Amino acid sequence: MKPAPFDYCRPATVAEALEALGSSESSRVLAGGQSLIPAMNFRLTDVSVLVDINRVDGLASVDCDLGGVTVGAAATQTRVLEHEGAAGVVGGLRAALRHVGHLQIRNRGTVCGSLAHADPAAELPALAVASGAVIAVSGPDGERRIDAADFFIGPFWTALEDGELITEVHFPAQPPGSVTIVDEISRRAGDFAVAGLVATVQADGGAVRSARLVGFGLGGVPTRLETAEAAIEGWAADHPADTLAEAVMADTADAFDDIHATSWYRREAVAALTVRAARQALADAEAA
Amino acid sequence: MTISEPISEVDVEVTVNGQPQRHRVPARLLLSDYIRDTVGLTGTHLGCEHGYCGACTVIVDGDAVRSCLMLAAQVDGAEVRTVEDLAPAGADSLSPMQQAFHDNHALQCGFCTAGFLMTLESVDPTEWNEPERVVELLSGNLCRCTGYQNIVTAVTEAWSAYDGSGGSDDG
Repeated sequence: MKPAPFDYCRPATVAEALEALGSSESSRVLAGGQSLIPAMNFRLTDVSVLVDINRVDGLASVDCDLGGVTVGAAATQTRVLEHEGAAGVVGGLRAALRHVGHLQIRNRGTVCGSLAHADPAAELPALAVASGAVIAVSGPDGERRIDAADFFIGPFWTALEDGELITEVHFPAQPPGSVTIVDEISRRAGDFAVAGLVATVQADGGAVRSARLVGFGLGGVPTRLETAEAAIEGWAADHPADTLAEAVMADTADAFDDIHATSWYRREAVAALTVRAARQALADAEAA
Repeated sequence: MTISEPISEVDVEVTVNGQPQRHRVPARLLLSDYIRDTVGLTGTHLGCEHGYCGACTVIVDGDAVRSCLMLAAQVDGAEVRTVEDLAPAGADSLSPMQQAFHDNHALQCGFCTAGFLMTLESVDPTEWNEPERVVELLSGNLCRCTGYQNIVTAVTEAWSAYDGSGGSDDG
């Protein structure tokens, strides 16, 4: 339960970090370490060079303007959660982060690190897909920007190439008049979700106008619920819940089984969360 | 201090419970093992060593963290507080929260207690004293003896006396 030996560095610049990452085939980036260090403690991850980016100049920033929120690679989840401006521009950030780990985990864990780790049951990758986030990456061949929809390839597998480093992620401002709801079923507060949902919903006049629905904990990557997105248009609180739930069931036929829940349970759970989110969005719109 | 070239041993200068410490440690040394084995403060307990149980919670620069999920190398330049700092040696009383734990039977074997106390010490009671918030705060620490109810009772009692002046809990 202790990590195997490795070499450690703590670069001051992105260029130095990239050089260190390139110095070994099994180099890894240490940001918050709340997933990487457990994996190293268990000897599940083979690391020869650990590149601690926490003192790289400028990477801990959280910048917020009317266009959205940009979170640097070393910015902790607590920092973003407590950032008052960020929650106003991208409401989903606070909604998602409240579900991430526990206080002690969020105090170290980073937003970008959660994206790089790409746990299928994690909230932030689903939020990134739902909100159309763009991930900025630096590597030996320069910089590139990757849409969240193209970033997640499989469980714990992203579009990041060897030697590349996420420098920041940009979450675009939430559409005016919309609400983002993040809800999940988990066995204990702070645990990874058995299944969950990120819903960005626009509603007025007592009916849903449109919604972006992304499930998590269902498959290897965040799952866009496109049938449900079509079914939810025009949905009102007095409409039958079954129409929405059936659409979600159609979108989630590939949901996986494990010791925590069957595929069927996960699909039912996300269907129920979708109905709940639609009702919540309608209630919020009425109250606004 | 930054380190541009990867190295296997790292110099660490850190303040632990107000005392400056300076050691050269293996890069792979966890903060939890550094506190217990290098500094010699064994009040911090190691349960799972993968971030699940919260027994090893300490305070780094004001934030509660899992010391098993940090490297000793990472606290270079930081201030670390452990459970030993709550009622320092020679003090003739427990901290108010420790006393409330004692009074309410909020521990049995005591293995998890240091972690609970450091989580509680790290937060502003005025932001966390609603009953639901107390439960949420404590969800990151496992206790297998008490069933949690006595811990919640102890926290409620200690914080009901908190006057917001910052003088009651700061060791």
